[in-house]
Amino acid sequence: MITKEQINNFIDKVPPSPKALKETIMHLANGDLVKAAAVAKEDKALNTYLKVLVNKPIYGFRNEVSDVSQIFGILGVNQSQQAVYNYMLTLLSPSKWKLFKLNRVVFYNLQADLSMNWKKILNYLNIEDKDTLCSISLLPASIIVSEALFCEKIKDINLLRSVNHIDLNTVLQRLTDIDLFDICEMIALKWEMPQEIISIIQASSGVKPAENENINQLGKWMHLLLFYTLSQAKYIEAELNDFIDFQIDYVSDIYDDFSKVMEIS
Amino acid sequence: MRAVLKNGIAVFSPQGFLDGSVGNSILSIDDINATIAQNSDMVLVSLKKVIFFNRNGLDAFVKMFIKVRTANHITVGFCDYDTKKYEAIVRFYKNDLVFSLFKTQEIATLFSSNYKNKIKNILLYNEDKSQRSAMAIELHDNGHNPIIAQTEDEFHEKSKAENAYDIIITETFLGQMGQKVATRVTGNAIIYTVSSFLDAEIGNTFNIAYHNNSLNVGFRLFIFDTYKVISMNVHALNFFSKLSTSGAEYNATICFVGMSFDKTPQSFKETLEDAGIIFFNQMDDILQDKGMLKELGASSAANIKDKRIINKGTVTELPNFIDATVGTIEMMTNSKAIKDAVQINKIDIKNSKNMIASSIGFYGDMDGMVILVFPTEIAKKACELLIGEETDDKELILDTLAELVNIVGGKVKMLLGDEHISVDITLPRTYPDITSLIEIVQEKKGVQVDLSFNNDKFLFFLTR
Repeated sequence: MITKEQINNFIDKVPPSPKALKETIMHLANGDLVKAAAVAKEDKALNTYLKVLVNKPIYGFRNEVSDVSQIFGILGVNQSQQAVYNYMLTLLSPSKWKLFKLNRVVFYNLQADLSMNWKKILNYLNIEDKDTLCSISLLPASIIVSEALFCEKIKDINLLRSVNHIDLNTVLQRLTDIDLFDICEMIALKWEMPQEIISIIQASSGVKPAENENINQLGKWMHLLLFYTLSQAKYIEAELNDFIDFQIDYVSDIYDDFSKVMEIS
Repeated sequence: MRAVLKNGIAVFSPQGFLDGSVGNSILSIDDINATIAQNSDMVLVSLKKVIFFNRNGLDAFVKMFIKVRTANHITVGFCDYDTKKYEAIVRFYKNDLVFSLFKTQEIATLFSSNYKNKIKNILLYNEDKSQRSAMAIELHDNGHNPIIAQTEDEFHEKSKAENAYDIIITETFLGQMGQKVATRVTGNAIIYTVSSFLDAEIGNTFNIAYHNNSLNVGFRLFIFDTYKVISMNVHALNFFSKLSTSGAEYNATICFVGMSFDKTPQSFKETLEDAGIIFFNQMDDILQDKGMLKELGASSAANIKDKRIINKGTVTELPNFIDATVGTIEMMTNSKAIKDAVQINKIDIKNSKNMIASSIGFYGDMDGMVILVFPTEIAKKACELLIGEETDDKELILDTLAELVNIVGGKVKMLLGDEHISVDITLPRTYPDITSLIEIVQEKKGVQVDLSFNNDKFLFFLTR
């Protein structure tokens, strides 16, 4: 159904990160918002994306924010970098979704929901590290990869899942020895993303705990956040709720803290 | 969200958080209708992967339960929860618990009429006396040995005994149980359980498709467990008379066990006997009497009167059946499946040692049966995607092979549907050895196709 060759073809087709984006990230990494904004202005699509993203209700701005300098200024260095990574990921997303009932708007909302709640979690955990904040941007890559690999196999997947509770990550792993999160790692490496991001994403799969306890804890929070988000009506309707398996035992020790942060009663 | 159907039990497995915001998103009207159409014996919602829920979140499923129960008269409920979740559900629906609660799916299967495993010794406890009794009766009816603990202390004391019980049931609640005519396979006989008043409704609740398919795959003895029947009217009398007459062409026998004629006219018994139905007082009168079982055709399915032959219509559609099989094997193994040889004849299995098989029937615009025969090791390879780990557990391999054949059936249905041929598929059946398969198909002619993937050979047989 899916072969290693198809995965390699997919990775080959992942475009390298555009020059303007690389430069923007580099300036953000150096904390130079002005230079970062100047470079970012050259990329029209990035401008539009940032404008759409930060004006979503979850960001909570009263007035519309439209200028890139203004956006970077409000977001600050760390969140600006996170937003640019979010944009990079959209470059991979299909123009028309077939496997999941998604569209551009819902996908952008998903990115925004994950990003803002991840920030909330890191605030609670007193973590200010930039790479840790940006790691959430890579998580939706697992959804994009699922779509890319399985979109032509929808009937087969539906038949398979009508007789057996098997998630897409397990199907891929059993067929090719490579899972969705390994492919996310390949993308991240191609985009020269920091190792910390890759490690957290791997742990967030819920099936590959990290040896480093700090990374592992972050993986648990991210795994739970993913399922908290995918339990919302709009994402259930998009059929995202069970594309990977929720590892309830993996996250049980942080659930009480999580429910405090998310004000679940 | 759709349910997975296995062994007659449909299971939904939501994940994450179930709260009011979920609303109707988790179950659309189409999902509910599909669940009704599955015609399962039980519908369950597993809470294993739900970390948080509130009443509003569960309500979406409870509404589905009510619709499915109304349409199909089957058991519905939640399963796979811990103590905290159990207490929460009981608190939410205190006076309105119209569904059942089973601590695990394994416990739920004990109450399912399709239960096919060995008899279990079961320790059970519920603080409500009527619940304890109801559970014990159901378990006993399904052939198990329930032992009731009357107090919590007694339960704790008894549950300490190592290896004394196969299963311990606690934190389980029986809502309204299904009143569908239940089917249970014992050896080569099929037992249907009927209860209370038998009237015209039996025509709706009796699964005639299942019965016909059972006849087609070789079952010859059908036992109606009528211990709990209070009375029968003329509509039910006609129904059973017709059922018996129509089964006669297959040389099938229908028996009534435990039927009391206190509130049913004695003349009905004579009419039913005229139609060929045999009456027994006790179930053991048949099941423990091997001679009787043999005489009634239950120990051998070979005496088929109506040897239906494969027809042109079925052969014309052969490419679809082959495509469905090849497509499924390729999907499951990521390797190319190759057609080696085709012949129309009786099934010919060269080396029957260590072989297992699975079959699935289809009926509708056309009818027949697809059989796949594998060496056990090759079956394991073909099912690797579904099994996921090394195993020599034959039961697990057979169960998984049934899933594989179910996918083949689904593909057949889809491919024929593309040609506007509408068929439904039955539940898959497995055969742990070739002898049990041969009993069913030895007299049947069909199309045999030898197939292979990665040089591993297996056999496809299409017959009617």
